[in-house]
Amino acid sequence: MTAYTPTPEVAAYLDSKRQRALIIGVLGLAACAAGFFMDSAQFYRSWLVAFIFWFGIALGGLAITMLNHVTGGAWGVMARRITESAAGNLPLMAVFFLPVVFGMQSLYEWTHADVVAKDPILQQKAPYLNTTFFYIRAAIYFGIWLFLLRLVRGWSLAQDREGAEPYHTRLQRVSAGGLLLYVLTLSFASTDWLMSLEPHWFSTIYGIMMLGSQGVTVFALIILTLTGLLRFKPISEIVTSVHLHDLGKLQFAFVMLWAYFNFSQYLIIWSGNLAEEVPWYVNRTQGGWQIIAVGLLFLNFIVPFAVLLSRNVKRNPGRVRPVVTLLFVMQIIYIFWLAAPAFSHGGPPHFSVHWLDLAAQLGVGGIFMWMFYSQLKSQPLLPQHEPYLEEAIHHGRHH
Amino acid sequence: MELTQPHSHNPASEIARQKRAEVVGGGHSFGSMTDKIAAIVLTSKTPIGWFAGFGLAFTLMALGLGSIGALLFLGTGVWGVNVPVGWGFAIINFVWWIGIGHAGTLISAILLLLRQQWRMSISRFAEAMTLFAVACALLFPILHTGRPWLAAYWLLPYPNTMALMPQFRSPLLWDVFAVSTYGTVSLLFWYVGLIPDFGNLRDKAKGFARYIYGFLSLGWRGSAIHWHRYETASLLLAGLATPLVLSVHTVVSFDFSVSVIPGWHATIFPPYFVAGAIYSGFAMVLTIAIPLRKFYGLEDFITMRHLQNMAKVMLATGLIVAYGYAMEAFYGWYSANQYERYMIWNRMTGPYWWAYAALIFCNGLMPQTLWFKKLRSNVSFLFFMSIIVNIGMWLERFVIVVTSLHRDFLPSSWGMYVPTVFDWALFVGTIGLFSTLLFLFIRFLPMIAIFEMRTILPATKEPSPEGTAVQS
Repeated sequence: MTAYTPTPEVAAYLDSKRQRALIIGVLGLAACAAGFFMDSAQFYRSWLVAFIFWFGIALGGLAITMLNHVTGGAWGVMARRITESAAGNLPLMAVFFLPVVFGMQSLYEWTHADVVAKDPILQQKAPYLNTTFFYIRAAIYFGIWLFLLRLVRGWSLAQDREGAEPYHTRLQRVSAGGLLLYVLTLSFASTDWLMSLEPHWFSTIYGIMMLGSQGVTVFALIILTLTGLLRFKPISEIVTSVHLHDLGKLQFAFVMLWAYFNFSQYLIIWSGNLAEEVPWYVNRTQGGWQIIAVGLLFLNFIVPFAVLLSRNVKRNPGRVRPVVTLLFVMQIIYIFWLAAPAFSHGGPPHFSVHWLDLAAQLGVGGIFMWMFYSQLKSQPLLPQHEPYLEEAIHHGRHH
Repeated sequence: MELTQPHSHNPASEIARQKRAEVVGGGHSFGSMTDKIAAIVLTSKTPIGWFAGFGLAFTLMALGLGSIGALLFLGTGVWGVNVPVGWGFAIINFVWWIGIGHAGTLISAILLLLRQQWRMSISRFAEAMTLFAVACALLFPILHTGRPWLAAYWLLPYPNTMALMPQFRSPLLWDVFAVSTYGTVSLLFWYVGLIPDFGNLRDKAKGFARYIYGFLSLGWRGSAIHWHRYETASLLLAGLATPLVLSVHTVVSFDFSVSVIPGWHATIFPPYFVAGAIYSGFAMVLTIAIPLRKFYGLEDFITMRHLQNMAKVMLATGLIVAYGYAMEAFYGWYSANQYERYMIWNRMTGPYWWAYAALIFCNGLMPQTLWFKKLRSNVSFLFFMSIIVNIGMWLERFVIVVTSLHRDFLPSSWGMYVPTVFDWALFVGTIGLFSTLLFLFIRFLPMIAIFEMRTILPATKEPSPEGTAVQS
C-alpha cells in the first residue's frame, strides 16, 4: 500500500460511481440486444456511433498519457491515472468493435459486390476498401494500441512498485514513437470506420479532426474526474486551482484546435464546391441537420470558448464542471453528426434520432465508465515514484 | 499516510533535477552577464569578421536590387513564369520567408505563455529574424504586381469613386490583412521587449549613441510602475500574437487550398503548413544561433539545452510535415479521382521527380536523425541539419507550386517552369537583405534580452548553496 492508494472514502465514492455505471451499462446493453432483434440495421448504426465516441476516449487517453511522458508538465502527473484508466479500456473496445465487424454488410456499402460492380470509383478503391483488408487493418490497429497500452501502463505501474528508473526513461522513449504510431493508426482507422461510410468522399484532414475531438473529450473527462475526487484526501491536499488552471488551458486549447480543424475542412470544401466533396456538407446541413451543425458551432465552440477565457472559471471546480460537461455531451453529438447523416444513402438528408442511439451510448458508455472507475480504484491515485511528482505538487502550491 | 514534502531529497526528484539542465551556464552574476551582452553593442571595435559578413550580405542584397531594377525596367517577363505555371519563385519565396518568421512568434508568444524559460535567450533575435523574414516575404507579392508603387492602391480595400473593391472571397486579400497584422504585432512585440534594454544601454553608452538609445528607450527609468506596465503589455501582446502563429500560415495555405487545383486543394493544408512554418523557422533560428554563439562566445547563454530543445521542436514539426506528405499521397490514390491520382504520380515520377525526391530526403528522412540524443547534442551536425531543413522547406513550396500547375487538366496546356537568372538573383538578394538586416541588428542592438536573462540566473531564484548573499 502506497501513500496514494485510494482511502476507504475514495473507494466508497468510486464504488458508488461504478455501481451506477454498471446498472446503466447493463440496462443499455439489454436495450441494445432487444433493439438488435427489432431493427438490426439501426442497431449497427447506433452502435457504431457509440463505439467511435467511447473508443475515442480510450485511445485519446493513451495518447494524452504518452504526450505527458514526452512533454512533462504538472497537469499530466495529476491526470496520469485518469488517462491511464481510460486507455485501459482499449481491450474492452476491441470486444465492442465486434458488432461493427458483424454489421459491416449493413453499414458499409462498399462491402456489397453488386454496388461495387456498378461503381467505377469503388472498383478503383477496392484494393483498400475490401472486407479482408479491413479485418487485417483493424487487427493491426488494435495490435499496436494494445501493445502500446501494455508498455505504457505496465511500466507506469512498475514504476509505482519499484522506483523511477529504468521505467521513467523507457516510458519517455516508447511514448515518443507511440505518439507517431497513434497519429498514423488513428488516421487510417477513422478512414476505415467513419469516412468510408460515404465511400466516394475523402478529406486529408480527417484523422487530425478525430484527434482534436479525442483531445476535447479526454480533457473533459480528466477535469470531471479530478474535480470529483477533490473532496477526498489525498487529492484535496495536492491538486490545487493551479493544476485545474493548467488543465483548463489545455481544454481551451483543444476546443480551439477542434474548431480550427473543422473550420479548415469546411472552408476548403465549401470554397472548392466540387461535386465529389460538397455532398458531405450538404448531407450535414440540410433536412434538420443544420440545427445540429449550428448547435455544434455555438455549444462546442463559441460558448465554451467565451466561458473558458475566464481565469476564474478554469480555477474553480464548481464553475468549470458545467462547461466541460457540455463539451463532453457535444462531442457525442459531434460524432453522431459525423456518422449518422451518411445513412441516408443518397436519399434526401433527414434528421432523425432513434431510441437505439441513446441505448447504445448508455450501454457502451455505462460499461466503459464502470471499467474506468474500477481501474481507477485498483491503483494509487497518483504515480508514486514519478520523478516530476514532487515538482508537480510544488507547482500547485505557489503562484 | 504521509505526503512527500517539496524539496525533500528523494531519489525520484533527483532524477528530475538532473534531467533539467540549467538554461544559463558559466556561473554568471547580474553584472557579468549584462556586461557580456552589452559589450557586443557598445564596443568601439567592430570585429573584422563582422565587416566581412556584412560585406558579403550587402553584396548579395545589391544583386537582388539589380534584379529588381531589371524587373521594373523590363517587366515581369524577365521572370520564368508563364502559362500554365503563373506562380513561380515569387510565391515560393514568399511562403518560404513567411514560414521562417513563425519561429520568432512561437518562441516569444506561445513559449512565454507556457512559461518556458529556455525561450529567453533566443527570443530577441528570433523576433528580429521574424521581422526581417516578413520584410523579405513582402517584397515578392508587391513586386509581383509589376508596379509596386501602385501596390497599396490595388491591395488595400478603401472606398473610392470608381466603386472598385478587392475580391473579399480571395485568400490573397486575406493575406494582405494576415501578413500586415503579423508584421505589426511582431514589430510591437520586438520593440516593447527592447525598451528596458534600451534604457540599460542608454545608461552605459557614451557620446552620440547615448542620445540614440535614450530616444529609443522612451523615457524608461525601470521604476516599479514601469515594470508593472511592461509585464502587462508583454502578456497582452503575447495573447494577441498567439493566434497569429496559427492564422498567418493558415491563410497562406488557403491561397492554395481554396482553389480546385489537384495538389493544392487538400483539407490537410492549414495544420500542415503551420507545422512546416514552425519547422523551417526553428531551422533558421539554429542556422543563426549556432554561428552567433560561437563567434561571440555566447555558449553560456545559448546552451546545449537550447539547441537540443530546438532540435526536438524540429523533429516534432518535421514529423507532422512528413505526415502531411503521407496523407496527400494516400488520399491522392484513395480519392480514385484521375486528376488527383495523376498529380501525385506525376509529382513522384514526372519531370520534377528530383525535387520531390530531394524534398522527401530533406524533410522526411533526415529529420529522423534527430531521434538520437547523440546527434541532437552535436552542434556541427545540428547546423548541417538546419541547412538541410531550410532547403527542404524551400523545395516543399517549389513542389507544391510547380508540380501542381505544370500539368494542367488538358495535356495541350502542359508546360515546364524554368526559373530565370533574374528569379535566382532576386531570391539570393532577399537572403542578402535578410543577412544585412541581421548583421546590423547584431551590431547595434542587444541580441539577447538582458533584463529577462537576469530573471533566470540561479542567483535570482534561490540563495546559492553556500548561503552567500545574492550578487548584484
